[in-house]
Amino acid sequence: MTAQLAFLIGLVVAIVALALTRKQWGPAAGHAIPSIWRIAKITVAEARRRRVIQAVVILVVVILVSMTFFSYLSPHEQSRMLISGGLSAITVFGILLAIFIAAFLIPQELESRTVYAILAKPVRRFEFVLGKYVGALIILAAIVVVMTVVLVGVLLIQDQLVQDLPDSAFNPNLEAVIFAAVMNYFAVAILTGLIILISTVASTTMTVISAFIIWAVGSLQSTIHDLAEHADIAVTKLLLLVVYNVLPKLENFDYRHEVSNYMPINVGSGIEAIVQGAGYTIVVLILASIFFNDRQV
Amino acid sequence: MANDEIVLSIEGLTKVYRSLFTPIGIKAVDNLNLSVYRGETYSIVGPNGSGKTTTLKIILGLIYPTAGTATIFGKGIADLSVRERIGFLPEDAYLYDVFNGEELIDFYAGLFGFSKRRRRELTDELLSLVGMQANRKVPFRECSKGMRQRLALAQALVNDPEMLILDEPTSGLDPAGRHQMTELILELKRRGKTILLCSHFLAEVEEVCDRVGIMYRGRLVSEGSLKELAGEPDEIVITTEGLDSGKAVEIAALAAVRNVDDGVVRLGKESAGDLWSTLEAINRAGGRVVEVLRPRPTLQDVFVRAIRQDAEETVEEVQ
Repeated sequence: MTAQLAFLIGLVVAIVALALTRKQWGPAAGHAIPSIWRIAKITVAEARRRRVIQAVVILVVVILVSMTFFSYLSPHEQSRMLISGGLSAITVFGILLAIFIAAFLIPQELESRTVYAILAKPVRRFEFVLGKYVGALIILAAIVVVMTVVLVGVLLIQDQLVQDLPDSAFNPNLEAVIFAAVMNYFAVAILTGLIILISTVASTTMTVISAFIIWAVGSLQSTIHDLAEHADIAVTKLLLLVVYNVLPKLENFDYRHEVSNYMPINVGSGIEAIVQGAGYTIVVLILASIFFNDRQV
Repeated sequence: MANDEIVLSIEGLTKVYRSLFTPIGIKAVDNLNLSVYRGETYSIVGPNGSGKTTTLKIILGLIYPTAGTATIFGKGIADLSVRERIGFLPEDAYLYDVFNGEELIDFYAGLFGFSKRRRRELTDELLSLVGMQANRKVPFRECSKGMRQRLALAQALVNDPEMLILDEPTSGLDPAGRHQMTELILELKRRGKTILLCSHFLAEVEEVCDRVGIMYRGRLVSEGSLKELAGEPDEIVITTEGLDSGKAVEIAALAAVRNVDDGVVRLGKESAGDLWSTLEAINRAGGRVVEVLRPRPTLQDVFVRAIRQDAEETVEEVQ
C-alpha cells in the first residue's frame, strides 16, 4: 500500500512538473512526436516486409485452430482446455516474438548501419529509441490482436458446435479471455521496453539470453519474494530483494489460471498492474535513451 | 566559388579508441585542425585506417571525440538546426533494403517534417536528379551498387542541404558508375553546395576538389589546393618519335637531360634554359618532337610524397 501511495504521489508530482515546464519541453515534444512516429512507421513497415513474423503468426493460428480437434473431452473440459491452451499460446508466442523483435531492433540498425543516415538527420537519439519502441508495440499489438481474434473465433465456433449436445456446459468466457489477452499485451510491452534497454548496451546474443531470464524471473516474482522473506543469509536476501524490486512483475499480468478456471477476475488489480508497469516502462525507456545517447555508433 | 565564411571548423580533434584489451587506446584521430569554407569542395584523402571515417563520424555526432571540437555553421552537431542544413552520404550506402527508392526518399524527407505533397515532389525531383526515376520501384536490395549509391545521394539531398558530407561516394563502383557519381558531385558543386568528401580514389578527388587534406595515421600531414600541394612542375617531358637506341644514349648523355626512356626525354626543371638546345639535339639525332610538357605532380605523387615524408619524420622522432 505504501508503495502504491508513493507511486501515485510520484505520478502526480511528475504531471504537475510537466505542466509547469511545458514551455520548455513543448517545442521539443512538437518536434519529437512526428520523428518518433516516422521511425515507428518505418519499423512496422520493415517488419511487414520481412515474412518471418507472418510465418510465426500463421503457426500460432494453426496451433489454436488445431486445438478444436480434442472432441473426446466433455464440452466443459474442452472449453477450459481451449481457453487455457489458447491463452498460453498467445502468452508464449507473444513473449517470444517480443524478445526476438525487440532484441534485434536497435542492434540490427547498428549492424546494418542504417542508423547513420537517420541520426545524421534532425532526429535525436531518444526519438530513435522511442520510435523503435512504438514500432515494436504496434507490431506486437497487431500480432496479439490476430491471435486473440482467432482464439475468440475458435471458442465461438466450438460453442456453436457443442451447444446442441446434451448437458453442454461449454463456456467460452469471452470477456475474460479478451481481458487476459490485453493483460498479456501489457506484459509484452513492458518486456519489450526492458529488452530495448538491454540492447542499447549489450550484444544481441546477451540481450536475447537476458530477456529469457527476465521473462522467467518476472513470471516467478511472488516466489522470489517468498524466498527473500525466508532467506537466512543476508547477501542472498539482499540479492533476491534487488531482483524482486528491479525486475518487472510479469506474473501480475498473467490471468490464464483465473480465466480458464472461471474464477472471478479482479480488474482493479489488473489496472494497478498496468499503471505500475507503465511507470516502470517509462523509467526503462528513459534509461535506454540515456545509454543509447552515450553509445558510439 | 568558395568564400571566407567557415562552414565546418575542426579544432584539436582527437579520438582514442579504448577497450579492455587496449587500455592505452588506439589513436584514430590525432589533434586534427581543419576548416571548410562555404562553397568549396574539400576532400580528406588517406589510406584505409587513416582516420577519415572516424573524423566524419565525429562531425556527424555518431561518435564522440576524446578531445577537441567540431562545429558546423558555428554550432555543435548536437544542435538539431545543424542537421537541418547538412546531408550525409554514408560509405557503402546503408539504407533499409526492403524499401524501394520512392519509399526511402519519402521516409527520409519525412524526418524533416515535410508534408506529404512536398515529399512526393521531392521524390520526383531527387530521383530524376540521380537518374533513378525509371527504377523508383526497385527494392534497394535488388539495386546495383551504382543505383544504391545514387539513392543514398538522393536521401542526402532531401533537405536541399547547404553542406554535403560524402563518405567514399564512389567506393565499389565500376568506371561508368564512378563517372556518373563524379558528374553528380560536380553538378552539386555548381549549385553552390559546400562539400566535404572522404575518398581514397585520388583521380576523383583531383577532378572535383578545391582543397585537399591528406590524413595519415590520424593526422593531417598536408593540406592545400592541388596547385599548392603539387608545387611547380619539377621536370620537362619531351615525347619523341624515331629516336633509335644509339641516338637515345647520346641524348641521355647531355648534361640537361635526366633520362631517356622509350623515346621520352626528361629534363629537370633547373634545365629549362637548355630546352631549345635539347630539342635541336633531338632533331639532329633524327628524332621528331611530338610533344613538350611541364606536367604538375598528380595528387597521387603528392599523396605518396606526403605520407613518405611523414613516415620519415616519425622515424627521426623515434630515433
